[in-house]
Amino acid sequence: MTTLLGWLAGLGLVAGLVMGFGVAPREVTQGNVQRIMYLHVPAVWVAYLAFTVGSAASIAYLAGRRAGADRLAHAACEVGTVFLGVNIATGAIWGKPTWGTWWTWDARLTSVAVVFVMFLAYLLLRGAIEDRERGARYGAVLSIVAALNIPLVHFSVYWWRTLHQPPSLLKPGSSTMPRVILTALLVNFAAQALLGAYFVARRARLLAAEEEALA
Amino acid sequence: MTYARRALAVAWKDLVVERRSKETLNALLFFSLALLFVFQFALGPDRERLAAVLPGLLWLAFILSGVLGLGRAFLVERENDCWEALLLTPGDKSAIYLGKLAGSLVLMAVVETLVLALFVLFFNVDLGPALPGLALVIGLGTVGIAAVGTLFAAMTAQVRARELLFPVLLLPVLVPVLLGTVKATEALLLREPLAAVAHWLKLLVAADVIYLAIGLLTFDFILEG
Amino acid sequence: MPDNWGFVAAAYGLAAVVFGAYWRRLARREREIAAVRTDREAVRNDRASRSQQPSKAGHPRPEPASRPPLQP
Repeated sequence: MTTLLGWLAGLGLVAGLVMGFGVAPREVTQGNVQRIMYLHVPAVWVAYLAFTVGSAASIAYLAGRRAGADRLAHAACEVGTVFLGVNIATGAIWGKPTWGTWWTWDARLTSVAVVFVMFLAYLLLRGAIEDRERGARYGAVLSIVAALNIPLVHFSVYWWRTLHQPPSLLKPGSSTMPRVILTALLVNFAAQALLGAYFVARRARLLAAEEEALA
Repeated sequence: MTYARRALAVAWKDLVVERRSKETLNALLFFSLALLFVFQFALGPDRERLAAVLPGLLWLAFILSGVLGLGRAFLVERENDCWEALLLTPGDKSAIYLGKLAGSLVLMAVVETLVLALFVLFFNVDLGPALPGLALVIGLGTVGIAAVGTLFAAMTAQVRARELLFPVLLLPVLVPVLLGTVKATEALLLREPLAAVAHWLKLLVAADVIYLAIGLLTFDFILEG
Repeated sequence: MPDNWGFVAAAYGLAAVVFGAYWRRLARREREIAAVRTDREAVRNDRASRSQQPSKAGHPRPEPASRPPLQP
């Protein structure tokens, strides 16, 4: 099952690259550097999807105490953090030629960075607790706090940046997106989602093996 | 014992212990005083620059003191081998959470009042008519800080490297509270009416409700072992 | 605006490196766990065969078959 996911992910990534570089046109205002978006934008979607799955699995764990739910939660939060890291890094690489700076404290970047640090803290907590059962309980509570905090972070940061301040002039992508660009984004999202699912499955399987071997 | 009695018992115990030893309170007050000097020296004598960043400095002082003080919330139980007693408490353990929270709130209120007074003195702040609104913002922010802080303090109490892990867990989660309180404080100190910061107040209330709810609902899971 | 293909390559390259490194880390950890498991098996089989010798100290030893199996 995991191997099948892996192969599907591989196929999807190839399709995504074809869409991103072959099918999608050269963007009018930004030029070809806009193609980074096909990597950068789906990554954050996959990350947030992973965090949702992770916190839902955490709730399920607290309710039913099934170890499989905790392994899913741990794996999903870890994979989500990896994808979010890729999103932040590729965003910075995109920002340098287009905005002239690697980093800016605009609303989107800042809130994503805060969410990233929250889930990094989750991974730190899991790493610091040796007892698997306690780690599962504490991790579940923390991931629920982190997930419910995401909207608060987004609102507070957005208001922090936009109220009494002019909106940023350059935005990644216009509001009415040409259909071919949207399609390319969706194909890449599907590909990255498959990759994420593959990683989650493999990570969860590894967690089960670790538990068994080191018990 | 009823739920409320148990919560009050925990709060009362903590406050009595603190009143006798004054360990945490003294340390936090001296820490705040030291922070004041650090802020002054780090930012230089320029009055305007200090005035501009004053709301941020005030909340830095509150949050850093909070991190220090809340990190020790379960120290008394840990050091005196009472942690197991907490685990064995009958009934809904969220009463312990409320009691701890109440005790921490009282402690933080004392520290914050004194820090605010020090700020007024050292940085020549004119609070004037802003004081009631400011008190409201400080109250809302402190409840948020303490609500998450008490939960995370229990979580990190039994973990190695707890002094490092606690601030690492707490600070990112508190970003919304920090933003809301600083922006609201800034506006109030500029004599803007409370209505102008209504959206920040709503955010703080929402955060407080969410954090309290999570704390009450999940504390039992933390105190299982 | 210039195309900045260098940045595009850097972005995709970085993603490839990060995902690749994560993938290798998973694979390496899986191999380590598998190695631990085969080691445990070897030790267990080793002990099982050695227990056929009679005890010298005089403490009664339970029969190998009645001993509870080692948890992996």
